[in-house]
Amino acid sequence: MGSILSAEWFKLRKSKMVPLILAGPIIGLFIGLASNTMNGLIGSEINEWYVSLISMNLTYALLFLPLISGVFASVICRYEHQSGGWKQLLALPVTRGKVFVAKYLLIMLLVLAMQVLYLCSIYAVGLIKGYTDPFPMEIVWKSIFGGWVATLPLVALQLWTSVMFKSFAAPFAVNVIFTLPSILAVNSKRFGPYYPWGQPFLMMNVGGDTGEVFFVPWDQLLTVVGGGFLLFFLGGYLYFQRKAV
Amino acid sequence: MIGKLLTSDFLKIKRKGLWFLTALGPIGVVALQMVNYGVRKDYLLEQSEDDWGYYLLNVHSFTPLAIVLGIAILTSFMASIENETNAWKQLIALPVSKLTVYLSKFTVLAILLFLSSTLLMLVTMAYGVFLDLGDSIPIGEIAKFSYYPYFAALPILALQLWIASVCHNQGIPITVGIFGVIFAYLSYFLPDWMIWKWPSLMNQWDEPIINVMLGIGIGIVLYIIGTIDFARRDVK
Repeated sequence: MGSILSAEWFKLRKSKMVPLILAGPIIGLFIGLASNTMNGLIGSEINEWYVSLISMNLTYALLFLPLISGVFASVICRYEHQSGGWKQLLALPVTRGKVFVAKYLLIMLLVLAMQVLYLCSIYAVGLIKGYTDPFPMEIVWKSIFGGWVATLPLVALQLWTSVMFKSFAAPFAVNVIFTLPSILAVNSKRFGPYYPWGQPFLMMNVGGDTGEVFFVPWDQLLTVVGGGFLLFFLGGYLYFQRKAV
Repeated sequence: MIGKLLTSDFLKIKRKGLWFLTALGPIGVVALQMVNYGVRKDYLLEQSEDDWGYYLLNVHSFTPLAIVLGIAILTSFMASIENETNAWKQLIALPVSKLTVYLSKFTVLAILLFLSSTLLMLVTMAYGVFLDLGDSIPIGEIAKFSYYPYFAALPILALQLWIASVCHNQGIPITVGIFGVIFAYLSYFLPDWMIWKWPSLMNQWDEPIINVMLGIGIGIVLYIIGTIDFARRDVK
């Protein structure tokens, strides 16, 4: 398993991955500095950081995070789709299951790296705007880590579609078809909690209930995120076992 | 020559899902409003005296996002058709100029998006009539909200086709497309010169026709830059 991971890592280093990961913090900075809607809140008792956090997390978690995690999955499979790479990789003494798991782990690592960089961009926005309130570290961590956990099922589905289709556009189209409705879904109290693509927003939205470990209740986390993860991961895993290369 | 290239490009996109996505875009945008109005019709009808106008605004809140993402997907598909089998070389080896190859790709995409906008108009109207929003159907407004974003988005189409056809790694145009949709989502906060703001039909003068004019003008400029760059590059 270790050697597959390091092989994947070497391929990744030549895949122009760094600019992709930097896209996260760049878009975070942009959103934080461009949108000044909630200025009405300044002066009230709310911690200044929340003002930026609410507007930044909205766009970042609702659209950017689900879409870019799909691109990561496609990039991870790019080498294999070019000129018979799957054949060469699977001719090695590795099992298909391990290849799939290694790819999945690596994508999740990339998403985590991007989330941490996004945290830095939140901090940078605060510094540029000159916030003096204490940095709400606990809340921010909760939101960063929660957003990461919420992408678990999404990445599993994206890896599945990326293995299936050769082109980048097809998995991206699937991703878009599911991500756009979440703009409406998260507004609904009834359907929002059950829509997997709305979860990154719900997990990152700092306005939620702060008593729990995450901003969403445990049973919702387990059923929607956990269930979605199991469904998509097993689906992709079994598909890859049977895929003709 | 261009006629034959167009025929071959239309043949190439057969059964690749491009026609499906072209139809899905507008139907999806209106389907979201079907859900929206299905769940809380009474609340939404109370929001405004002008039910048709409010309904069109609701539909239009998703149109720019769908157009920006749709353009990114279709252009990338178009380029992958050639990329996947290294067909650029074979295509360019034919007795056709590179400029016409590019023109033909652009034309096919422009036609697909135009059909998409037409379908948007028809579906918007059909669901509006179904909702029974009022007797006088504002056909002019519906057409405006369907076709203006299309013309305003031409620069994005030119830019995305340029990036998609010169980049071998399709991750780059897709990421540019994601940036584009974030810009389109935040278009309210953007300055007027950014092309991703234009499909939202907002500007400081409150005259949507300016976005259409700018879209056609800058679209042509970006198309010329793209086609010259495409023609100068080596085909690998």
